[in-house]
Amino acid sequence: MSIVQFENVSKIYTSGDHELRALDRVSFTLDEGKFVVILGPSGAGKSTLLNLLGGLDSPNEGRITVGGADISKLTDNELADYRASTVGFVFQFYNLIPTLTVYENVKLVSEISKNAYDAKEMIGKVGLLDHLNNFPAELSGGEQQRISIARALCKNPKILLCDEPTGALDSETGVMVLKLLLDMAKNDGKTIVIVTHNQNIAKMADVVIRVKNGKIRSVEEQENPLSADEVEW
Amino acid sequence: MVILLKKLLRTAWSYKAQFVSMLLMMTLGIGIFLGFNMEWKTIEYDVSRFFEDTKYADFRLYSETGFTQDDLEKIASIEGIDAATRFLSVNLDLKGDEKKALAVDVSENYTVSTFVLTDGREYDDAGDGIWLSDKFAKLNGVSLGDTLTLEFQGTEIECEVVGLIKAGEHMICLADSNQVMPDFTTFGYAFLSPAKLSDVLREKAARTVSEELEKAGLPKDAAKEQAESAVTEEMIEAAKDKVFSQILLRSGMEKAALEDAVKEALGRTLMVVSKEDHAVYKEAMGEATEGKAMGSILPVLFLAIAVLTMVTTMHRIATKEKTQIGVLKALGFRNRKILLHYSSYGLFIGVVGSALGAVLGYFVCKMVMSEDGMMGTYFDMPDWSTATPAFCYPVIAGTVLLLALISYLSVRVQLMGTAAEALRPYTPKNVKQSLLEKLPLFRKTSFATKWNLRDLMRHKSRFAMTLIGIIGCMILLVGGLGMRDTMAGFLDLLDNGISHYATKVNLVEGTQVEEAAALIEALDADWESYSGISIDGYTATLDIVQNDKGRISVIDQDNREIDLGDDGVYLCLRLSDRAKIGEYIEFSPYGGEETYRVKVNGYNRSIMTESVTMTDRLAQKLGISPSVSAIYTEKRSDEIPSSPLISGRQDKRQLMDSFASFVEIMDGMVVILVIAAVILGIVVLYNLGVMSYVERSRELATLKVLGFRSKKIGRLLISQNVWLTVIGVLLGLPAGLGTLEWMLSALASEYELKLMLGPLTYTVSILLTFGVSLFVDWMVARKNRKIDMVEALKNAE
Repeated sequence: MSIVQFENVSKIYTSGDHELRALDRVSFTLDEGKFVVILGPSGAGKSTLLNLLGGLDSPNEGRITVGGADISKLTDNELADYRASTVGFVFQFYNLIPTLTVYENVKLVSEISKNAYDAKEMIGKVGLLDHLNNFPAELSGGEQQRISIARALCKNPKILLCDEPTGALDSETGVMVLKLLLDMAKNDGKTIVIVTHNQNIAKMADVVIRVKNGKIRSVEEQENPLSADEVEW
Repeated sequence: MVILLKKLLRTAWSYKAQFVSMLLMMTLGIGIFLGFNMEWKTIEYDVSRFFEDTKYADFRLYSETGFTQDDLEKIASIEGIDAATRFLSVNLDLKGDEKKALAVDVSENYTVSTFVLTDGREYDDAGDGIWLSDKFAKLNGVSLGDTLTLEFQGTEIECEVVGLIKAGEHMICLADSNQVMPDFTTFGYAFLSPAKLSDVLREKAARTVSEELEKAGLPKDAAKEQAESAVTEEMIEAAKDKVFSQILLRSGMEKAALEDAVKEALGRTLMVVSKEDHAVYKEAMGEATEGKAMGSILPVLFLAIAVLTMVTTMHRIATKEKTQIGVLKALGFRNRKILLHYSSYGLFIGVVGSALGAVLGYFVCKMVMSEDGMMGTYFDMPDWSTATPAFCYPVIAGTVLLLALISYLSVRVQLMGTAAEALRPYTPKNVKQSLLEKLPLFRKTSFATKWNLRDLMRHKSRFAMTLIGIIGCMILLVGGLGMRDTMAGFLDLLDNGISHYATKVNLVEGTQVEEAAALIEALDADWESYSGISIDGYTATLDIVQNDKGRISVIDQDNREIDLGDDGVYLCLRLSDRAKIGEYIEFSPYGGEETYRVKVNGYNRSIMTESVTMTDRLAQKLGISPSVSAIYTEKRSDEIPSSPLISGRQDKRQLMDSFASFVEIMDGMVVILVIAAVILGIVVLYNLGVMSYVERSRELATLKVLGFRSKKIGRLLISQNVWLTVIGVLLGLPAGLGTLEWMLSALASEYELKLMLGPLTYTVSILLTFGVSLFVDWMVARKNRKIDMVEALKNAE
């Protein structure tokens, strides 16, 4: 069953007379519970695609449907509610709030999400119960990213969106983080969308969408994706 | 170099909010610093020059019985005295208009206390005319050649206006110590020549002789004719000896030495008042001292806030520019050149801000010290050129250099280490658990509170600056509005708490109680006597009061009426450190040899003079025979019969109305302070608000991505400033009251003011501070709606 539908979606940035089509009439669908990797070189439009799907931005043309609801024409507040209830984000640079402790960073989402999980339980799942009262700056990059995953999943979102989640980590930590991400999300039946230019991560995906120059070049379903341990980094 | 200059201008443009706020603060800081300091220096300079030009007396000797020509000669021959004159200054009513009066001066020797001629004929000691205050003439439509008729102890003096003048003696032209602000529409001053005085005295003497002859049965015309020929030069000289109650001196002697020399020359102790203690000089220089006091608080506050704004803002700009600084370093620019380039930011703001501040300072000074300015009503002097204290120049230069140094130091921190390190973006300090977090209460606080508290701990300088801005705003508001309340309370006290009469009638100097008894009874009046006394060499006023009818009240420090006892005296608050209640003080009246020892019964709030107050009954018991200086009646001035004892009448309503211009000056000052408070609040808080917003933009973007609505994030931002405003107001209120108390103590040498703040002042100060803070918060929180989540989250922190 499809959860995401992009229909002729375009995103155009204008600067003076100059017009840049970051996404050009893009169409595709994503099925629920799948692990999707969006692959492409820098400037291909993959982050724009993720931002539109995450409700951080709105398209200039076309229609985006998530769980049957059109999110392309939502107001600011409606988009905020959509982000609070439907999607969880994991960023390359974690984006934890530096002035909140590990526990508070995760607990924070219960302020806006009605279906939030227990923050401590989520932190336990990422194995950082010992660091509840630490500030982000007191953790390693990998630990910070694990907290970021716990925060994203604590909201109990339908879709988990990850923008280069291993981009700032060494390969060993990267594998560990990816494994955790897939274990936690897949077990819970979440749809995972990862944007990356790392070809190796694509080998783990159920679906690989290749993007170039703002257009979808291919949508490829992989019958036997590799596990994180099997991928050669 | 040109390219770097272009970079400077473009960077300034890209940080325009910060640059404009730094420039504004610098302009305000220098402007107010310069304006306030120029104001007191201008007073000091112009007033001193005017006093010098008009040969203002260094000392004045007083004698109730007058000075003879012989006394003058003896005094003039004292070694160290450069010039001396017998001097008469008396308030005379203008005939035809009961409510107008002039202080008329006669100086025998035109080398002491002279005047500056603005129009008409030069002074002539044999002249028949009158030299009139040009301001009085202008406001009352009097021109050269007009004739004025004055009344002097029952004798009419007719004289032609031959010159228009300004005199140092009357630079602050007040009818008596009850008047606070000059009112030239009703009271002015004039000079008569000694020859004219002789004519008046001759006429007066002739009238007295004629009246006696008439009483003896001679027909009126014959009596008059006979009287005129009977008046001799000796009689006129004797009359002169009585009316010249002052000798004015020009001398560089010490007061104590002069007192001794005078005692030796005349064989009696006289009241010697130095110019520093003389009302006009004291008031004028008091204004300069007050200006200095004011100048040392407000401008320093503004200048300090300007410099602190510069510190926080330049630090912020330097951190934002860190990558660019790294690029320049990586390109091969030497540290020195990069530092020089960035130091020019501070230098640029310093130079432009100082130039604009100098213009602002000039206008602030002119607004106070010019003929049409606030002081124009108070001072009557010919020249209003501005003067700047010498220390202002190094302070301004130092401030400019300090700003350059702040830029230099802010950038130097970013330049440390290798080019690669400099290229990395700035990372703020990591958060650590503070002591606050150990409190159990902290754990129970909301996420928003924790977030805000830790943010404040992380950005302490921004936190401190915001508090200083709010406290500064409160100080200015409480100070300004409180000063007005206190003055309004003072006037109300004067009008309703102390003066319960309709008219104050001033009597001719030396009028004894027995002489005035009939008049006092006819007017159903109370009376008061003031005379000079010395308390261990310190000059004060002995105020003998007879207030059985309740026309005048003596009040305590809480403004409650004192029921004066007959067993002791009351010291005014300024003299309260001389003796405790129950202790004894000694004083000696000037002009006599007696010393009196009396118990101190209490302290009283004296509106103007530094006085020792006692009842007439106690005076009688002590054997002091007072002369009545003024009587207070409920009768209107036109109901008071003319009497040779009356030297002038003063309507209380008219006196209170004369305060209108005083209140106007006060209102002007309050408006300046309120505007300054609002500008200070908006500039500092907006600048810091934007800084806080920029510093937290990444966190705000994260919250937005997580699904927080803009309104909720806005509330989060505002709540921090609301708490800071609450703390700022709580600290600012006592700071404002303390500042006000301090400013009032600077005025204490002139008045004994009690701090009186109405509930409206508290309400307006608090609401206005909150209003400014919330307005700025709203402006900053609005930005939050436009935050670019994608852009803010792109880079590593």
